[in-house]
Amino acid sequence: MSSETQKILTTDGIPLEESLKKAEKKNKIKAFLLVAPLLLFILITYVFPIGDMLFRSVDDRMVTNMLPKTFKAMEKWDGKEMPPEEVFEAFYLDYKILVKEKRHGKLSTQMNYEKNGFKSILKKLARKQKKFKEGNYKEQIMAVHKRWANVEYWRAIKRRAPEYTYSKYLKGIDMYKNEDGKIVQVPEDRRVHKILWLRTLEVALFVTIFCFLMGYPIAHLLATLPMKYSNLLMICVLLPFWTSLLVRTASWMILLQQQGVINDFFVLTGLVSDDNRPEMMYNKTGTYVAMTQILLPFMVLPLYSVMKTISPSLMRAGKSLGGTPFIAFWKVYFPLTIPGIGAGCLLVFILAIGYYITPALVGGASGTLISNQIAFHMKSTLDWSFASAMGLMLLTGVLVVYWIYNKLVGIDNIKLG
Amino acid sequence: MRKLSKLLLTLTFALSITSSAFAVVVASWGGAYTESQKLGYGDPTAKKLGIPIEWVDYSGGLSEIKAQKEAGAIVWDIIDVYAMDTINGCDEGLFVEFDFDKDFPAAPDGTPASQDFFTSMPSKCAVGNILYSWNYAYNSENLKGTPKTIKDFFNTKKFPGKRAIYKGALTNLEIALAADGIKPKKGGAKIYEALQTEKGIQRAMDKIKKLCTDPNGGCVFWSAGAQPPELLMSGEVVMATGWNGRFFNATVGEGAPIVQVWDGQGLDYEYFVLVKGGPNEADAKKALAEMTSTEGLAGSAKYIAYAPWRKSSIKIMEKGEPWYKDGKTNMVPHMPTNPRNTKNYFLVDPVFWADNGTEIGEKWEAMKAGL
Repeated sequence: MSSETQKILTTDGIPLEESLKKAEKKNKIKAFLLVAPLLLFILITYVFPIGDMLFRSVDDRMVTNMLPKTFKAMEKWDGKEMPPEEVFEAFYLDYKILVKEKRHGKLSTQMNYEKNGFKSILKKLARKQKKFKEGNYKEQIMAVHKRWANVEYWRAIKRRAPEYTYSKYLKGIDMYKNEDGKIVQVPEDRRVHKILWLRTLEVALFVTIFCFLMGYPIAHLLATLPMKYSNLLMICVLLPFWTSLLVRTASWMILLQQQGVINDFFVLTGLVSDDNRPEMMYNKTGTYVAMTQILLPFMVLPLYSVMKTISPSLMRAGKSLGGTPFIAFWKVYFPLTIPGIGAGCLLVFILAIGYYITPALVGGASGTLISNQIAFHMKSTLDWSFASAMGLMLLTGVLVVYWIYNKLVGIDNIKLG
Repeated sequence: MRKLSKLLLTLTFALSITSSAFAVVVASWGGAYTESQKLGYGDPTAKKLGIPIEWVDYSGGLSEIKAQKEAGAIVWDIIDVYAMDTINGCDEGLFVEFDFDKDFPAAPDGTPASQDFFTSMPSKCAVGNILYSWNYAYNSENLKGTPKTIKDFFNTKKFPGKRAIYKGALTNLEIALAADGIKPKKGGAKIYEALQTEKGIQRAMDKIKKLCTDPNGGCVFWSAGAQPPELLMSGEVVMATGWNGRFFNATVGEGAPIVQVWDGQGLDYEYFVLVKGGPNEADAKKALAEMTSTEGLAGSAKYIAYAPWRKSSIKIMEKGEPWYKDGKTNMVPHMPTNPRNTKNYFLVDPVFWADNGTEIGEKWEAMKAGL
């Protein structure tokens, strides 16, 4: 009774606590509604697509549902020798239904991803199976094409049995699960993804380093020059930034090729002889030069905005306290620019890791990066699950870099301006 | 999640539909090629049938149409695709299967459509529109002597200098084998027989590798069709494989000293497919039959050096020479299907590449990485 009396009431008789809660709730809803569009936007354009991608890369129910009898019959088969007659019979029965429902084309596409060469033999089987006689399906199927008598192809079918699989991720690093369930490497002449990952990483890393080495002095100059010069310089930085990527790449091709402007100049000045012109394009040199130039503004701008806020008196103070210009720079100025360096390097690295038009055009034999491979599976083979898997691996790579950066420097230390 | 992303895609496509509500929409590659299609048979068909035809550009591949279908809002009616894509798309159930002789008109002399076309179709969903060639060319101002055969392309002793080849394995393996002494025979059957074995693929790769690592040779890999003539003109390479239409354009259109060599050429095709469940499927089918008629296909060859699929179209062109739009160039000698150009050729085999494309592609990239 006493506690009841102690409760403070508002004028209309509702306990104050409740009334406050109500008002707060209203505010909360209002605040939520304010951020709702952004939240929705992020959900729709970011979380859902990535979730969908993740799901696609592991979902293999389509094939599982297409060949239910076959996979059941295959459970007892160890994958060493050719499968027994029951497997062939089950496969024939499953496939007959698929042909009838005109879904066999999809199966042939899917199986061709698993092992090349399936497409034509499945099609041939679709034609021939109409005349199959009852019994001894093993012989009849094997007579359709010699690949059907190759145990590799049956192992490939068995590999597609699980509903959810991480095999696409293994494929992305040139591995696969063999019939003993061990994860092994694919034959040596087909290990291409590892090469591409390393090459992508290498290109991105070196481009970031080059951008940093070139961008730092430029940004410093921009920040310290008097306004009228620095504005002009700023335009020089921004002008290429506003030019189309393809135009810039094409210009580099004109400049760098063996019969190009730069080489002509070398020959004219007698630096090199005419029949000994250096190759500056269609190799890594070309890729580094073109990409560094294209990504340079992404390094210069964050650096500039950070350097602009550093007072020049700090350097003077450092020098007046007895430091040489280098010590003053290294101990005072440089640490203050680290937030800008972090932002610039991260930006350039992340952009570079997903690049592919420029390397494809100027990179020659080494011009294929992992993103080309993703685009290839997206557009040509339509193996979207593999493309998704590789896309997610790339994303994970970027997140790891981000995480390392956070551990080393701290993400709060990033500054874009 | 799936549903939501579907809904979104639908919305996007619904917005783009409104702009082209009643026209038949044809997706093609753009540039001079689409121009030749539009002027050659698009506009005449639209006029004759009273069906407006709208041309949109795309950059190849089936990803866009697959996305449209998954979203449940298809906006394209007809697509201009590669052979491999007709096979893959047909298997995926994206395109309409044709009853060829019923759906497409016979030649003026009564030959049924299936007999009038140069070869049979790679899938039931395809109807051919042009044949083009992967041949090679050289700049006559930069090269001493005149290469005549596909062997000369690989002969760095007689013709030193760098070569430009396509960035992928497609057609490179074929010409390598043709130059290595395998006679293609009719349609290149022998070449693809050899490529069925690991040994054959290795043999072709070795031949390319030898050319690219030869100090007298060397390779530049091209990716865009405009590159080969440009690389020849700048003197960056002495010989380049490429598409005959691009070389023709450089020679006849721009007067460049580029000479094409037809020995060992690979004939490849472009096809039209009809999208299943497209917005104007019935009209599109009518328009497609008209566009791929004898007259229609001959029309596009007025504007570009790609050969019409129908043999009867060539006859019309022969009668109408000079057929090229400038009014003075004879077109028939520039056709990849001309008997003078097909003494030694192979037909690019889409079934082979649909079957083995990815694995060979991986081997090709691994080989390139070791250059």
